[in-house]
Amino acid sequence: MDRGKSLTEAMKIKLIRTGGFIPVTKSAETEVSLTDKELVSLLEIIQPDPAVSRIKDGNYYELSFGTRSTPIDLEKVPDEYKALFSKLKSDLKIIKRR
Amino acid sequence: MIKIIIQKQFAAKNSFFVFRNFLNLYLSAKILNIMCKNHYNPIHCIIPPYMLARLMESGNKRIADLAVNSNFRSLRFRHDRIFFQKASLQEKTILGLIGKESGKETMQMEVYDCKQKTDLSGAILIWDTKTNQKITSVAGKNVIKGGKASWDFYWQLFGRNSIDNKGLLIKQYVHYDKGMDNAYWDGRRMVYGDGDGTVFTSFTSDIDVIGHELTHGVTESEANLDYENQAGALNESFSDIFGIMIKQKSYNQDVKKSNWLIGERVMIGPKYALRSLKAPGTAYINHPDLGDDPQPATMDGYQNLPNTQSGDWGGVHINSGIPNFAFYVAAFNMGGYAWEKTGRIWYAVLTDTNLAQTAKFTDVKNLTIFQAEKLFGINSQESKAVKQGWTEAKV
Repeated sequence: MDRGKSLTEAMKIKLIRTGGFIPVTKSAETEVSLTDKELVSLLEIIQPDPAVSRIKDGNYYELSFGTRSTPIDLEKVPDEYKALFSKLKSDLKIIKRR
Repeated sequence: MIKIIIQKQFAAKNSFFVFRNFLNLYLSAKILNIMCKNHYNPIHCIIPPYMLARLMESGNKRIADLAVNSNFRSLRFRHDRIFFQKASLQEKTILGLIGKESGKETMQMEVYDCKQKTDLSGAILIWDTKTNQKITSVAGKNVIKGGKASWDFYWQLFGRNSIDNKGLLIKQYVHYDKGMDNAYWDGRRMVYGDGDGTVFTSFTSDIDVIGHELTHGVTESEANLDYENQAGALNESFSDIFGIMIKQKSYNQDVKKSNWLIGERVMIGPKYALRSLKAPGTAYINHPDLGDDPQPATMDGYQNLPNTQSGDWGGVHINSGIPNFAFYVAAFNMGGYAWEKTGRIWYAVLTDTNLAQTAKFTDVKNLTIFQAEKLFGINSQESKAVKQGWTEAKV
């Protein structure tokens, strides 16, 4: 079976937001069904531009799946995933500092 | 008759040459005098391109030779920033860096409504200084007020014309994104969210937050402190310090009257604020959603965090509590209005070309002591207060 075309089992992805005027971490989780190929392709598209300088007091986003976590640029999310990320973003909840 | 005419023409031509040579020499001397104020050797000064071109046309061979020297040119590029920062108000006026008639500069500002979207290029212009139209947006009114207060602060106290000291148009964007609980400076403009309505309200609600963001622009056009580790914490601290002073001046608060809180309206709840300069780590305690304010006030509480997004680039918003506290102690010990003495010292450091992009807390400590002694005298009460501030912060 071609692994690239296989559906991953309902994978959990977590959107994490960090940074800001006061450093607050927020996160939201959902389950998605993406093939490995689709996931790799999506991550390639939404990876942030390393040349962009750090925004003062800016927020940053990363996507966590399985044991991996990678920085992403929400502005680059393709149309077909906009609803997914919009939902995740609106579901973001503050992770209380211990 | 012909002889008289020829003599007159010769005299006129001669006077023209004498005048032209005199003008050349005068301009050369004037330019070198301006450029070389702080240097022994004129080769070591920095000349902007249009003046360089004029020097190259000079009748004075020595000056023309200097102007075409390639090393001289490369030196100009390396030290442009240093020169322009050291130039006096008069020199900057002559160089055309600021308006020619000091006192007549006016703030230029535009306010845009993002309509809760994240595309800044699609934001709608709702107010600008040229038309000064009436607006209904509370957030818009807030940033106009805060932007004006910040511009006035820098202009009235330090003769600074806007963010870059060259009259930069201040651009502010309100209603950014849905429920965005943040404000930021993106290198060109200030952007404010409306808050989530639960923990935070609009980030335009406090004048100190607006002053904080605008000061990020000032820092960027001065030392451009790296946004990581101690340099990043200093970057944040300068924004907090000038942000609180902008608020204090707006409300005419002296060091005793001020509560030294940043963002006390932005954070919902009477017991909470975003930061405290007087007592870092106490702006919010046991908050139901946020927990405790993580800022240390002293160096023994410095947090070595990773230089990553999630590590707040080495804790720039956390460790800024230390230099903030040093400022507060210095200002409190000096008494009166913070912007009158302590503010002058900190501004002199912020615009000091010796402040490196990678500066550490001890660098700013040394520079503030140096500037306090320079401005108020060695062993002055002011220099002692600055030293005391850093001692209390354990730097």
